[in-house]
Amino acid sequence: MTVFTCSDSLEAMLTCIYDAWYSRLGHDNVRLEIEPIEQLNMFDTYVHVEADERKAMAVADAVNMKISPAFYGEIVYCLGAYERDVLDTVYRVLVLGFKHGAGVLDAYGYEAVSRFKAIRIRYGREASSFLEFVRFNLVEGVYVAHFEPKSRVLLTVAEHFADRMPSEHWMIIDDIHREAAVHPCNEQYYIRKLSAEEYDRLKATEDYDDSFTELWKVYFKEIAIKERENYRCQLTHFSKWKRKHVTEFA
Amino acid sequence: MYEIVNDYTTMDKLRILADAAKYDVACTSSGVDRKGKEGFLGNSCAAGICHSFAADGRCISLLKILMSNHCIHDCKYCLNRRSNDVERATFLPDEICKLVIEFYKRNYIEGLFLSSGVLNSPEHTMELICRTLSMLRNKYRFNGYIHVKAIPGAPAELLAQAGLLADRISLNLELPNSESLKKLAPGKNFNNIVKPMASISSTIAAHRVAAGKTPYMERSKINNRLESNIFSKMRIEAAQNNSILVPERALDRDLSRPFAPAGMSTQMIIGATPDTDLELITVTEQLYKSMDLKRVFYSAYVPLNDDAALPAKGTAVPLLREHRLYQADWLLRYYGFAASELLSPERPNFNEVIDPKCDWAVRHLDVFPVEVNTAPADILIRVPGIGPKSLERIFRARRYGGLTFDALKKMGVVLKRAKYFITCGGKMMDRIPIEERFIVNRLTDVDRREVYSFTDRTTYRQMSLFDMGMKAVSG
Repeated sequence: MTVFTCSDSLEAMLTCIYDAWYSRLGHDNVRLEIEPIEQLNMFDTYVHVEADERKAMAVADAVNMKISPAFYGEIVYCLGAYERDVLDTVYRVLVLGFKHGAGVLDAYGYEAVSRFKAIRIRYGREASSFLEFVRFNLVEGVYVAHFEPKSRVLLTVAEHFADRMPSEHWMIIDDIHREAAVHPCNEQYYIRKLSAEEYDRLKATEDYDDSFTELWKVYFKEIAIKERENYRCQLTHFSKWKRKHVTEFA
Repeated sequence: MYEIVNDYTTMDKLRILADAAKYDVACTSSGVDRKGKEGFLGNSCAAGICHSFAADGRCISLLKILMSNHCIHDCKYCLNRRSNDVERATFLPDEICKLVIEFYKRNYIEGLFLSSGVLNSPEHTMELICRTLSMLRNKYRFNGYIHVKAIPGAPAELLAQAGLLADRISLNLELPNSESLKKLAPGKNFNNIVKPMASISSTIAAHRVAAGKTPYMERSKINNRLESNIFSKMRIEAAQNNSILVPERALDRDLSRPFAPAGMSTQMIIGATPDTDLELITVTEQLYKSMDLKRVFYSAYVPLNDDAALPAKGTAVPLLREHRLYQADWLLRYYGFAASELLSPERPNFNEVIDPKCDWAVRHLDVFPVEVNTAPADILIRVPGIGPKSLERIFRARRYGGLTFDALKKMGVVLKRAKYFITCGGKMMDRIPIEERFIVNRLTDVDRREVYSFTDRTTYRQMSLFDMGMKAVSG
């Protein structure tokens, strides 16, 4: 078995798919993994793949034109998920997609498709849960939010808030992947990789005291009906790892 | 008339008026898709977005407050009734707007839920509400979700104005029939609630037609697959018999807004009167069919007042009953059931130990087991463990070949319930006798943890470290 490995950027992952495909080793004889590789296997050959724009574009174009743009969208969306096997699953789904067409995503009988769907649904839920739980803090005229997602959901979250608050200055910071979405008032937002120094400065924004924090906490406490208290139910809807940086639990 | 003026701060008012509003159940922000606009704040998402979950496990989507908790009525079940000695406060329109805008910008909430006790008169209260909403929409340029309560007895012009400013408008029925209402809410009149409901419903329909849509609210897509569902033979009688609400005066930009695009909803109290589940669910179905309501909410009665006509303080809140009614409500809206199929005058209440869908299935073992690979949607959706989503997946996957139990599991079918009622390729999953008592026993076992979680909160049980830990963190 030959294992193709790459970093976790979209470009590198698409390049990795390209290289594995054109290695002509046969789909059953290759595996794709995202670095870092946790456990090396002595029977496998490992090939590191560097991101290459031309190859990545070739994959994107092929999927868009030969399968469908919607299919490409699903794949790109899914590649943001944190699961270790996501790249290999996407590869298997692409093999099926090129053979049977876009409709193959409904065929749960295939192992790869059902795994792909499971990842896709979980990723979708994670992304939409952060539309709910991201909390902004007013810092010198800019609304700043920190959050810690498992997957790369910053783009989805930023897209939502760009539509919601077009005429505000705001910034959403993904503390795990060290990325920030920055939105100046009435302008396009952009995503930026943060350097260590920038990250440290932005970390301090959480210490700012916001006058509405206290009001919100009072409201949060008052709105619960004491006779119906049910912490287990609360926990199912709002898991603990999502409560970091959330005002009412801080 | 004297008015007592308190020097409450916004914080105090928020504390008092949020506390007073919490018994209103609806906190949904769903039903309308609206893009954001430059210069405005907010958008709206049809699926609805919850922003937090309170200690009782209920979602917090909207800033749910009362305009005022002063009230001229003396409804026996209500905390804010005239005869109760509680702190009273009234928000200024500006205070509400500031709270909404600032909370919204911090992503605490999805919008505003504004209700009120009746301050001085229904007209005066509704006028205050309309002024607040107008200020929020026009001065503060808020484009997010607003749910407004219509005050029974308010004039039609004001209801029309409220409908144009809000996304959803609701009127609480409180009790399913006029006798119960007369008993518990002597100041209210059943007709005063039903009549405005009918006019609102016809106004919504008229505005929808004018915008080039069907007169009926959008329903779950699954209903297109089902031949018989409660929405299939709908007709809005209201449109012919009722007047359409027109505002007295309104700004042009208010008139260009759709009238309550997310529809209308209502709420009924469970357990304060001896009304049966059959009565409640029949009324619910009627409301969906004739008034085209988007949702009917149920509120398990929490004993707050000492009154001979009501359950005594400390009586357990009928949470399991409320849960069963919501399950039945979903069966009406997503599964093609009719109220008369679920309950009958001989069995007027839902089974405590198994859910309504399982209950229906074990009473109709003559139609089961069904073959998953060939069965039509109408019967497949009635199999316990198969819901609208898995049904959709089954239908799509069937085009690509036969299904196995393994594939069904991956599609999200709950096999621990479904396996008693389906075959795959002519075979059942295990050796299962098609016998009512056997299946009921098994299904009861599947449901027992859920039932336990609703019923045993008042009795003693072994305390676990887990429970204590949760309280320490969240409390």
